[in-house]
Parts: sequence; structure tokens; C-alpha cells
Amino acid sequence: MSNKFKILVIEDDRSIRTFTKTVLETNDYQVITAETCESGIMMFSSYRPDLVLLDLGLPDRDGLDFIRTVRNDQHATAPILVLSARTTEHDKVDALDLGANDYITKPFGTAELLARVRAALRVSQSSFNPLHTSDGKFSLHDLTIDYERRLVSIAGEEVKLTQTEYNILIFLAKHPGKVLTYAMIIHEIWGPSDDGGVKKLQVNMANLRKKLGIKPGDNRYITNELGVGYRLNEGS
Amino acid sequence: MKHKLQLQDGIFTIVTLVLLLLLNIWMQEIFDTKTLIPMIFVLGVFLVSLKTQGYFWGITASLLSVLAVNYAFTYPYYAFDLISPECLSSAIVMLIVAVMTGALTTQIKQQEKTRAESERERMRANLLRAVSHDLRTPLTSIYGFCSAIIDNYDSLDKDQQMELLSKVQDDSEWLIRMVENLLSVTRIDGEKVQVKKTPTVLEELIDAVLVKFKKRCPNQAVIVEIPEEFISIPMDAMLIEQVLINILENAVDHAKGMTTLSLTVTVTEDSAVFTVTDDGCGIPAERLDKLFTGFSDASGAPADSRRSNMGIGLSVCSAIIKAHGSEITARNTPDAGAAFSFSLKLH
Repeated sequence: MSNKFKILVIEDDRSIRTFTKTVLETNDYQVITAETCESGIMMFSSYRPDLVLLDLGLPDRDGLDFIRTVRNDQHATAPILVLSARTTEHDKVDALDLGANDYITKPFGTAELLARVRAALRVSQSSFNPLHTSDGKFSLHDLTIDYERRLVSIAGEEVKLTQTEYNILIFLAKHPGKVLTYAMIIHEIWGPSDDGGVKKLQVNMANLRKKLGIKPGDNRYITNELGVGYRLNEGS
Repeated sequence: MKHKLQLQDGIFTIVTLVLLLLLNIWMQEIFDTKTLIPMIFVLGVFLVSLKTQGYFWGITASLLSVLAVNYAFTYPYYAFDLISPECLSSAIVMLIVAVMTGALTTQIKQQEKTRAESERERMRANLLRAVSHDLRTPLTSIYGFCSAIIDNYDSLDKDQQMELLSKVQDDSEWLIRMVENLLSVTRIDGEKVQVKKTPTVLEELIDAVLVKFKKRCPNQAVIVEIPEEFISIPMDAMLIEQVLINILENAVDHAKGMTTLSLTVTVTEDSAVFTVTDDGCGIPAERLDKLFTGFSDASGAPADSRRSNMGIGLSVCSAIIKAHGSEITARNTPDAGAAFSFSLKLH
């Protein structure tokens, strides 16, 4: 019985499958592979992997079906990373909204693949938020959130946020490293039936980023995924 | 051929006829003659046939004209006398004018369409030729380096192998960028060449561009100047992102002696103007006017100019900006560098 992390790779292209398998195995992960959505679902339920790398364009069924089955029918929480070709933002948003944790755009390098896998595993394996300090505060680089006092500070300096900005930041902080789509954030902050919310969110986000001192091209705390959503950086 | 009877055309027909009718009544008062009346209605029929789609409105206009002449300007006045030979022959003349003008304009429109199509076909063929040429070179070297390593695995030392492999990596990265550009072109391919625009926050766009650019060219700083306020611009964000990255990378690849590279966005009343400026060697005057259709001269380029994707990258930029209803321009700045700029409508 090995205590290596088990990773299920569902990908129909042989080269990419071989490449990811090789990279992951040389980095001490145990890898199982599937070529179709159907066999992927079967493998998932019998092996219970710690993480899934999923290609969306599978020969038998849409990869989104896999996410749906795993999340809704099997109620599994293992992180799913989508390997997406550079198509539209739409596929990514759909996958994320269905419960995928992150996506990697093809073609990707080894460094990027490993970083994303490590980050996803770190978040899912720790029973508490890895960015939370022992006294229940949140800390990323020099950014600290004191939940009890509703206080946000950078390097000890307090940052004055509006209620909405604070709520958005807290929601992102609850899911470090995960891309949260516009729809998810809007649903959380303003409730399910909010029209034209994207603009409102973008304005609030622009203010929040400004207050946190984030300049364009510098994604210190929050990474902006153009046309998809936002991600709170997961540190490291 | 089927034509939609457009409301616009109908309104045009009615307005033209009413105006001409009034003109006729006025002329009749002034000159006290009727010789001009049929001429003016023929002119009306001609105009309507010329400006409307298909035959329907032209024929309608000619029939209405005949009725108007018959009713208002010939004896018996203000009554119809439809069986007189005069009326019938003027109706026939009007109909012939309407049908022939209609046929002529349809033919011209058809010709224009064919010409645009063949132009597009020619562009595509040129692009394809340039692409195949540009793809073959790095593929040949990737293949070559790999076979060199496989065939001489034992005789090459680690450093040599590393060197060959990093060349393979470089060339593959270049290929990836090329294919990304080609994918962008296919996104704007199609009859209407219209892109799907979504409101995009300027600051987020610039942020995404800079993050990607930093990954590819970590040593080149970019000086950014954008307005402080919140600005949202309708665009296909992925395509505009590609345009900006292409221009920035183009500067890194081609502006020799460059020390500063800057990206500026200014906002006017109804549009946002994006400008990328470098202080490199500038663009040779003879290339300036062919810069954005430049892939056509790739065939004349020497085979070793492997990184000459300048042509394709900039052609893609030009196509993307055109699809956004604007134009990209390049010029040399007074202090010897080059400046690329384009604007996007804010609404």
C-alpha cells in the first residue's frame, strides 16, 4: 500500500496522456489513466483518486458530463483540473460552474502542470484553509484578514473596504487557488436573481484591487482570469 | 434570387415618389407645361430601382408613377383612364426602365460580391502559403535536433544534449504562438467578419496582457499608462489580448536597440486609443505601408529568417482590429522608434 497521491488522468490523446503520466510519475505521484469519459467515471468510483486531470474533448461524451456525475451523483470532492484547449472562455466557465477547481490551458509546460497539481492537492488535503493562521486569521504575503474584527490590512496598514468589497474578498479567501467565475461570486454576494451583476462585480473588483494596491500586470493577491472570473492566489 | 422586402426600401420608394409628385405639381404651376412630368417620374423609377433591393420596389414605383401621371397630369384630370394607349405605352416604358435598372444594379452588386470573395480567397491563399513556409522551418529543425539526439545518444555529452533540447523547446514555443495566432484568425473568419463583443474592463485586459507578456519576455519591462477611472469597452477580449501581445512581442523581436517599451491607453469621448511605443530602430520606410499585409513578402524572405512571424502576427492584428470596425496603424516616432496604435469604440 503506497501513500502516494493518486491522480486520474482522463485524456484521449496518447501523447498528452503519456507526457502527463511521465511527468507526474517522476514527481512521485501514482497515476491511473482513462481514455474515455465512461471509463473515467468507472475508474473514479473504483479507485477514488485524490485528484483528476480531465480533458474536455473526449470521444464518447463531453468531459462536462464527468464533472456532473462526480459532483452530483457521487458527491465526491476530489479536485478536478480541466485541461482545456485554447477555445472560448465559455467551456472554462461551464466546467468551473459545474464544480471543476481549476483549468490549465493547453499547451502547458511541466512546471505549470506540477504547480497546479500541488496547489490543488494542498488545498484539498488540509482540513482547514491553508492560508489561515493558528489564531483564525487569514494571511497571504503581507495581506491579513481578521475575520472577527472585519479588518483587512496590508503590512499592518488598515485597508478601508466597503461592505461589498469585504464580502467579495472574504468569499475569495475561502477558496484560495480556485478560480471563482463571475456567476459564482455574484450568486454569493448579491443572491441568485441579480441581473447585470457582472458590471457591478467588475466595478467593485476594480476598487478592491486598487485599494489592495494591485497594479496591472502585478497579480500579487488576486489573479484576474479575463472573461472567466477571479482567483485568490494560493501563496507559495 | 430571393430578396427580403425591407421596410427601409418601401419608405424610400414612397418618400421619393411623393417628393417627385410635389415637384411635378410645382413645376406645372411655374412652367405651365407637361413635357417634364414623365421625365421626372422616369427619374424617380430609376432612383428607386437603383437604391432598393431586387425588382419589387422598382416595379411598384413604375406602376405608381403611371397611375399618378394618369390620374393627376393627363386628361381627364383627377380621374383614372387606364385603357388609353398613351397610358399603356408609358406604363411599358416605365416598367422597362425599372426592370433594366434593377437587373443592372443586381449584376453590379453580384460582381462586387464576387470580387470581395476572390480577394478574401487570395488573402487566404497567401496566408496559407506564408504559414506553410513558416511552419516548415521550425518543424524541420525540431525533427533534426531530435534525430540528432536519438542517433547520437551515447556520443553526445549532457551539455550538448541540453543545448539541442532547449532549441527544440524554443522552436516548439514559437510554433505554439504561431498556431494561437492562426486560431485567432479562424475565430473571425466567416461571412460577416463580425466578432462577439463583451464588455471588458480595461484594467483587467491590460493586466492579463502584462501577465502573459511577462511570462514570455521576463526581462522586458513595460511602462503602462492607463486612465485611473473604471472603463469598460465592448470587445472580444481574447482577440484584443492577442493583438496587444503580438505588438509587444513584435517590438521585442524587431526593435533593435530598444530600451523602453510603453503601452498607453487614452480615452476620448467615444473611443479608447491603444498605443504601443518603443524607442528601437524604427520600421524601414519601404516596409511601413506593407506591414500589415506583410505575409505576402514572406515568400521572398530568405529561408533562414526563421523568426519572421512578424508578417503573420501583424496581419492577424490588422484582421482582428478590422473585425472590430477599426484600423491599426504604424508609424515611426520622431525619436527613431516605432509606434503602433488602434482605437476601439466605447459603445
